[in-house]
Amino acid sequence: MAKAQQINPEKARWLEVLGIAMPLCLSYVPIGVACGILLHAAGFNFIMTLIVSIVVFSGGAQFILASLLTIHAPLSSIFVTLFFLELRYALLGSSLSKYIKSESQHFIWLFAVSMNDENYAVNYLKFATDKKWKPKDALLVEHYSLLSWSVSNMVGGLIGSTISINLEVVDFALTALFIYMIVMQMRSHLTLIICLLSAVLAIFFMVITHSIIGVVIATLIASFVGFLIENTVRNHSKKPDDNWFLTKLFRPRATRITVEDQRAEEEEVLEEKEEQQKEQSTDSHLPESKQHD
Amino acid sequence: MDFLVSRIASNQIVYHIVVIIFAAFAAFIPRYFPIHFFSSRKIPEWFNEWMKYVPISLFTALVIKNIFITTKGYHFVPYDHPDQIIAAVIVMIIAYFTRSMSISVIAGLVGVWLLNMVL
Repeated sequence: MAKAQQINPEKARWLEVLGIAMPLCLSYVPIGVACGILLHAAGFNFIMTLIVSIVVFSGGAQFILASLLTIHAPLSSIFVTLFFLELRYALLGSSLSKYIKSESQHFIWLFAVSMNDENYAVNYLKFATDKKWKPKDALLVEHYSLLSWSVSNMVGGLIGSTISINLEVVDFALTALFIYMIVMQMRSHLTLIICLLSAVLAIFFMVITHSIIGVVIATLIASFVGFLIENTVRNHSKKPDDNWFLTKLFRPRATRITVEDQRAEEEEVLEEKEEQQKEQSTDSHLPESKQHD
Repeated sequence: MDFLVSRIASNQIVYHIVVIIFAAFAAFIPRYFPIHFFSSRKIPEWFNEWMKYVPISLFTALVIKNIFITTKGYHFVPYDHPDQIIAAVIVMIIAYFTRSMSISVIAGLVGVWLLNMVL
């Protein structure tokens, strides 16, 4: 913390946000350069690479675009493939929309065009765990990651064929990032079950559809099952938070507390106060011991 | 449409610009319209409850795709990337205990790089 203050003594917001976006921006550099090299091999010059990295802004889509261009795929199949690949952003956008509801149309447009998997993951985590996280900060994270991504792409396009890289290794940066996000969001037994369900469904639907749309179908079904189970438990259980599905998994102490946790805790404190008042007035039964986690 | 494009394909720059325009639309439509739709209306509570489980399902599906599914033909290959599977477990453990994004990603990259040389 002392170090953070040294770097940023006036607590400028853009610097604080940059600090939050930094791991993401750094992990974009090797992947962006790799993507630029691939697009160069597919025949794009570095200006085209820069433009495509800004307007598409999606690692997966650009990798596939490069491979489609090298096999001279027709334009219609390029469009359809990319469209299905990007269809998952419809889900991401819908799930973030409640946080940016009050913003202007212009803001929503800007926010939507520069959203992608990774900065969504960062923003979702921040919106869920940090009460002070504003839509403006989220947009800033998007722009930092866009800047890092497009510059890395252009550098890749410029150095082109002069270096060779192991794509599998570089590609794993994104996998690692997603795994980190999963671990951070693993809260209850139910999330663990949904995770496993989504994994099985993803394999099943990708194999039978032979396309990335399997990811979207698996996500829709798995998340809906999660919602159904939680809803059923909440409606049919007297103490929903003590139900096995919704009890929290053991987590280390460094775990961040989500906004929802804070709210639940506040409610618990309020309930306790009411109980105490009741006890004082009636004096009929012994105070129940409550377990805290 | 493809016929028209094949006629201008002789000029590579023009063709690339056309590709970029199409790619931009493919990227823009799924990004913008849902978020526009849901941010200008009152969102029903059940929808929010549902969307709460979207990130974790989506990220799991993407990780599975990266490790177990081939990019060409989408075949299921459980043992094709033993290095990535081991590195994934390492990332999970490190993410669980450190709660740090950068340490997790760097550990994953170093892990997969070393394992790639060994395996």
